[in-house]
Amino acid sequence: MRAFFFFLSLLTMVASLAVFAPGPAQAADPIRIGLMAPTTGPWANEGQDMVKVVEILVNKVNSSGGINGSMIALEIGDDGGTPKTATLAAQRLVTRGVVAVVGTYGSAVTEASQDIYDEAGVVQIATGSTSIRLSEKGLKLFFRTCPRDDEQGRVLAQKVKELGFKKPAIIHDNTSYAKGLAEEVQAMFSSLGLVVAYFDTITPGERDFAVALSKIKAQNPDIIVFTGYYPEASTLLRQKREMGWDVAIIGGDATNNRALVELAGPAAAAGYYFVSPPGPGDMKSPVAKEFFKVYLEKHKQLPSSVWSVLAGDAFNVIVEAIAKVGPDSTKIANYLHHGLEDYQGLSGTISFNEKGDRIGEVYRLYRVDEKGDFILRD
Amino acid sequence: MAHFIEQIIYGLTVGSVYALIALGYTMVYGVMKLINFAHGELFTLGAFIGFVFLGTLSWGSYFGPALAIGLTAILVAGSTALAGHFLERVAYRPLRHSDRLAAVVSALGASIFLQNVIMVVWGAQYRAFNASLLPTVVWRIFGQSVSLVRLFVFLTAVIIMLSLYLFINRTRLGLAIRAAAIDQGAARLMGVDVSRVIALVFVIGPALGGLAGLLVGIYYGQINFNMGQMYGLKAFTAAVIGGIGNIPGAMLGGLLLGLLETLADAYVSGAWKDALAFVALISILIFRPTGILPERVAEKL
Repeated sequence: MRAFFFFLSLLTMVASLAVFAPGPAQAADPIRIGLMAPTTGPWANEGQDMVKVVEILVNKVNSSGGINGSMIALEIGDDGGTPKTATLAAQRLVTRGVVAVVGTYGSAVTEASQDIYDEAGVVQIATGSTSIRLSEKGLKLFFRTCPRDDEQGRVLAQKVKELGFKKPAIIHDNTSYAKGLAEEVQAMFSSLGLVVAYFDTITPGERDFAVALSKIKAQNPDIIVFTGYYPEASTLLRQKREMGWDVAIIGGDATNNRALVELAGPAAAAGYYFVSPPGPGDMKSPVAKEFFKVYLEKHKQLPSSVWSVLAGDAFNVIVEAIAKVGPDSTKIANYLHHGLEDYQGLSGTISFNEKGDRIGEVYRLYRVDEKGDFILRD
Repeated sequence: MAHFIEQIIYGLTVGSVYALIALGYTMVYGVMKLINFAHGELFTLGAFIGFVFLGTLSWGSYFGPALAIGLTAILVAGSTALAGHFLERVAYRPLRHSDRLAAVVSALGASIFLQNVIMVVWGAQYRAFNASLLPTVVWRIFGQSVSLVRLFVFLTAVIIMLSLYLFINRTRLGLAIRAAAIDQGAARLMGVDVSRVIALVFVIGPALGGLAGLLVGIYYGQINFNMGQMYGLKAFTAAVIGGIGNIPGAMLGGLLLGLLETLADAYVSGAWKDALAFVALISILIFRPTGILPERVAEKL
């Protein structure tokens, strides 16, 4: 009996050796590219869209012969939308031998994984993490295809001036995102020569902002800048209308949500401005049109937001870099920093600066029309 | 001056909602010496039940706004009262003779449970009430624009509070509640069915909280599953300011807290609003530890 087991184990050893021995018919090793995305948890919707977008692009590359003959193997790691899970996902992707990683969505989640990738020598391209400090750490292998929060503030202030408003009021809701954006906008206004008539906070979760509105009205501004999220924005719109006060309101990308119109009612929401990266429905370049045609055929509806499309762009530039300089992370990073110029991505042209941040205008101005639809202005 | 009057009107509307919810805390505390932490969730429940009839089923377009709101109010009061009664049966009655701390922990548990049930049933996203339920009429009073809905919220709250006040002070059942609040043992000896009084308090309090939730839904138009936390905390504070256990005190405390918040917001800064309101709370408690209108404890001794 023992002899039988010995023979059996010997047989398996020989068999496994045979499997792993490099055969003459086998193609070159695949290039492993990681995708870290929140496919479960509170942002599961975003994460699953990211996977759908990137998988279509992987199929496209592989079906047209791969990168210089090498196939791409996509490794997906679920970060669950939490920093804790993200470190596990990052370690797993690193041990799978990825050369570059796409992702992820939340800023805090990306931050938890940054050092792991950097130490392992893996290029990381974040897709939805807009927090400023991520690219201020001097990490040579970190990039992102999404804009930074200060970029949003700059564009918002610029658009207010272009629309011809002279006396803006600013309110935020004391969350770190909204406060940072509000301070950015305030600084931009003073350099553009606009006098800020009012700067204060409201408390998120409360329902009555009539007091804040009446105080702002006393300062007589011609536009209100609100940098918080859509529930509070819709309450402001509603109560402003109830006061019978006809003043413009402009907000940031956290108000780019269909629920805004539902909560405020189309009558109150009409005329509301916000700046945001363009939605998938508004990406009109030939590359984007071709991609969304394939996406629609496969998944029947467009991705729900821009962030998953930015994951597709991160994947595209990685492929572009590998095709030019080969699967070596230092060379890829060097190419992305200096070699890549105005690459035609799904969300527009892509180049990176020295910090790894995307160069070029991503934010667009939207206006809510009388029916409650979001109309791209320019 | 005109600006000041405007702020007072805002403060009274916000405060009247706090007062309505505070009544639920104070009535339960008066009779049972228990802080019902699940009360904020009963308020949320009221808002969501109102949402079912006025939002999902849009009764407003079948019955007209007045009838729809009236019918919904009755259903909301009824179902939150039922929920309150059930809560008392499940979470508090089994613990009536155990440590008071046990009941407080049970109250916290019930609060978390209810909040999550509401989230599972209606989802975590914000829900919108029918925005065009009540017409946006704006009146000019003393040169100030006052909207019809704001007035409606304030007057409804005042009417509900007045009827409660009359019920407590002019009826035999009200007398029984007052007696049980002063001394349960003595009340029992005088033939008051204290168990029934407690059950009654757990019907009236949640009904008032539920109606407050409905008012918030109708007026502000948006509700979500954890709105009861903020309102519950503020209303509890109002009850303490007024003197917890005292019914007119809760009404007064609610209106006062609403006014304090509004004036701090209007004349200092929105960022300091809550801080100033709570500084006021602490000073009231330092100088009058039992609140503005304390429960008549002295009569007990």
